[in-house]
Amino acid sequence: MRKHPISFTVNGDLQELFVEPRKTLLAVIRDTIGLTGTKEGCSTGDCGACTVIVDGEPVTSCMMLGVSANGKEVTTIEGISNPGELHPVQQAFLEKGGYQCGFCTPGFIMAAKALLDDNPDIPEDEMRHALGGNICRCTGYTKIIEAVLSAAETMRANA
Amino acid sequence: MSEHAVVGKGVPRVDALEKVTGAAKYGADINFPGMLHARIFRSTEVHAKILSIDTSEAEKLPGVHAIITQDDIPTGRAVFAKEKVLYYGEPLGAVAATDPDIAEEAAELVKVEYEPLPVVQDVMESIKPDAPHLLNDRTKDGPRRRVITRQLKKLSKETGEDNSAEIERLNAELGGLDDEIYYNVAGETHESAGDVEQGFAESDVVVEGTYTIPRVHQVYMEPHVSVAQAEPSGKLTVWASTQGHFAIRSGIAGVLGIPLSDINVVGVTMGGGFGGRFNIQATHVPAVILSQKTGRPVKAQLNREEEFLDGRPGAGCVIKLKTGVMDDGTIVARKALAFWDCGSVAGGPIANTIRIRGVYKFPHLQMDAYAVHTNKSGTTSYRAPGAPQAIFAAESQLDEIATIIGMDPVDLRMKNMREEGDQVPAGATEPIVGYKETLKAAADAVDWWNREKGPNQGWGVAVGDWTNGCGPGAVYVSVHEDGSVRLFHGSMDITGTDTAMAQIAAEVLTVPYEQVSITRGDTNSAPYNTGSGGSVVTFTMGNTAKLAAEDARGRLLELAAQRLNTDIEHVELRDGKVSLTNGDAPKSLSLGELAAYSLSTTGGPIVGKGSLSGRLSAPAVAVQIAKVEVNPETGNTKVLRTVASQDVGFAINPIAVEGQIEGGVVQGYAWSMMEEMQYDEKGNVNPGFVDYRVPTTADIPRIESVIVEVPAPNGPYGAKGVGEPSLTPTLATFANAVTDATGVRINDLPIKPEKIVNALKSNGNGSR
Ligand code: FES
Ligand code: FES
Repeated sequence: MRKHPISFTVNGDLQELFVEPRKTLLAVIRDTIGLTGTKEGCSTGDCGACTVIVDGEPVTSCMMLGVSANGKEVTTIEGISNPGELHPVQQAFLEKGGYQCGFCTPGFIMAAKALLDDNPDIPEDEMRHALGGNICRCTGYTKIIEAVLSAAETMRANA
Repeated sequence: MSEHAVVGKGVPRVDALEKVTGAAKYGADINFPGMLHARIFRSTEVHAKILSIDTSEAEKLPGVHAIITQDDIPTGRAVFAKEKVLYYGEPLGAVAATDPDIAEEAAELVKVEYEPLPVVQDVMESIKPDAPHLLNDRTKDGPRRRVITRQLKKLSKETGEDNSAEIERLNAELGGLDDEIYYNVAGETHESAGDVEQGFAESDVVVEGTYTIPRVHQVYMEPHVSVAQAEPSGKLTVWASTQGHFAIRSGIAGVLGIPLSDINVVGVTMGGGFGGRFNIQATHVPAVILSQKTGRPVKAQLNREEEFLDGRPGAGCVIKLKTGVMDDGTIVARKALAFWDCGSVAGGPIANTIRIRGVYKFPHLQMDAYAVHTNKSGTTSYRAPGAPQAIFAAESQLDEIATIIGMDPVDLRMKNMREEGDQVPAGATEPIVGYKETLKAAADAVDWWNREKGPNQGWGVAVGDWTNGCGPGAVYVSVHEDGSVRLFHGSMDITGTDTAMAQIAAEVLTVPYEQVSITRGDTNSAPYNTGSGGSVVTFTMGNTAKLAAEDARGRLLELAAQRLNTDIEHVELRDGKVSLTNGDAPKSLSLGELAAYSLSTTGGPIVGKGSLSGRLSAPAVAVQIAKVEVNPETGNTKVLRTVASQDVGFAINPIAVEGQIEGGVVQGYAWSMMEEMQYDEKGNVNPGFVDYRVPTTADIPRIESVIVEVPAPNGPYGAKGVGEPSLTPTLATFANAVTDATGVRINDLPIKPEKIVNALKSNGNGSR
């Protein structure tokens, strides 16, 4: 299958690639670029495990074609922390026990980060609806919500 | 508990950083240069004879390297269907190609000809004589027939008496029981105590019901995946996302007919299991054989749709249950007849039908359970296999009884609960248990006897029980010259069990938790380990880690005594140092100093070993109370509040324990409210998250966990298995709450809104 040239940034690094038009952004991130932190749980846009941030918006990367990322800025779970310093959402998941198997965690953290970047004052019930596209089968969500609420507090304080 | 420094504290998990940064490598994250991608091609019929499989077109596709079918399985053990398919999506073979999309294209090019056969999906249809017979036609007698047959045998053995009249009568009765011959039976199990019929005759109230519980998928978030590399020497390495890599090793060895020592299985981080990731699964053997054929590493991975079509979900069942009680609430007798839908593969948790006895004492019990074939994929374990189903029936019926005799549902349960020394129906006597404490803790948490409810609101309570397993396992502990401690073992961690082991080692060796690290070995390097399921890990590996740390402590004390010129009785380990207890001047040696010293001693470096194969475990109990609100127009039900108390023995890490409780409760709500794998003559009709909806943050409120600690005599620090009990009472808790809110009882899960609306309509009332 003929490949298309695309150019976009992932976690600030410029990527210039030739990509088959049938490949999803998720496949490009995981298989071509080799960043495996972003997970595939369903490939139909229904679980949120593949959530990345594209131009500031949370996107299920299994539902976006790689070629559509041309010219865009993509952030993945690998791009939100610095050595020795986690993003407040990551720190909160760690402290509150917001994960078990951890498979949903990168997607959840990215969805929560996008949500709180947009509105760190979001009330719990709205937060619960906004995160309703991310499935976690292990935690029962109680500690995830605790973590996101606590991260929101940190982000408000840092703002 | 203040007597401990590290155990009992909610420290962050040992794998916290890699999990929150995306660094953890799961099965699908394992990649090698030159790796090929496998795709399984599958049956598009539900029940059919296979006339031919033609792979010639697929082979021609550029990028395809190998195609295998059942003919490529050296031992002939069933991996792919060959003569006949028994369900839609059954594997027929697999393709390896340079790219997953090419492999998928190739799989679609495989042509298969079938001769369709009649389909049966409902267990109650499948047991009938006119149902299509799916496998060997193993017909079975029902419970009443068995009783009569037993009497006949006994009578004909008794010599010297003329029993012919009685024999004739019984034979006639037997003739009238033709409806008790069941077909398509894959397995059966029976249990009894006392005389159940006599018990019903003596009871004041007898209640009967039929309960239907659907098949549900474990929905671990990471679909099955494995990577295999066959070396030219014939040795194999398999990277498996599994609950137990030693079982994968023996499974592959069995199918391939090769020695265990030719296979090394590396257990990688896994995205959830819940019982569904034990033993060899769909991906392991295809990856291995395709790698043998091509000499290249091969990754085989399912997608979510394949998980639904060809996973091994938790079994559904139909349970006919009958309970007899006295007017004062004393339970007298209980009888269950259960049909478990094991799909096309013999299995199903039939023995756990016994969970209908719950945590109550009563003299008369009978349980007859059958596994029945249908045209579905096989089943496997799902968190406390069989218990949520059996307990749904049992605890729903108990609530119905409470209403009939006018007794409070908590009082009724409390009155009948077993205590230490009580006889378990058809079982042993009860060891020390925390049933009543746990029920009381839940009731107190919601102030049960003063509970209030508005219109269309209701409260429900239910009790579930489970006993963790204990399997073989071993741990080595090393102490290094910098005072750090390292554990090495072969146990897979999902829920934080490595963390519990590290906490235990830190506690025994009196070092800070941060000083302990842990490494999991592959099957070539680590000592044998049982799989991580059945709530075994903290119980088994916690004990093992404790033994290993204690062994290392013994060596440390010995070395210190030698070094300080004293006897071992006069030294003690405290705060990471061994000190003299009898000297005038305080003298001590740190763990690091002792480790350094050990290197030049005859005894050598400090290694502690812990190894065990079994210990008697203690029963655990989970009690849940829910408050719900039902909209009588739409049937929509909202869980307003949910309290989950559980006897965990001792919470080594309370955050991890709460996480286990919360996760189990939400899986329970899912099963009660929304989840159900649906089948018709076309097979599974909801193979994706749009039609098989699972709960999200928007569906379930915060779970209020209440930890109860009645120590297990053999558990590490008293800990019991915590992973499974939490799911066992939720189904009935929800059903009971809905009944309290609406006045109608629904015994057919999941309790979807339309079922509530219909039940209210036929009941002729809107709300109460
Ligand atoms: S993998 Fe993209 S939403 Fe599930
Ligand atoms: S932590 Fe396992 S799916 Fe969320």
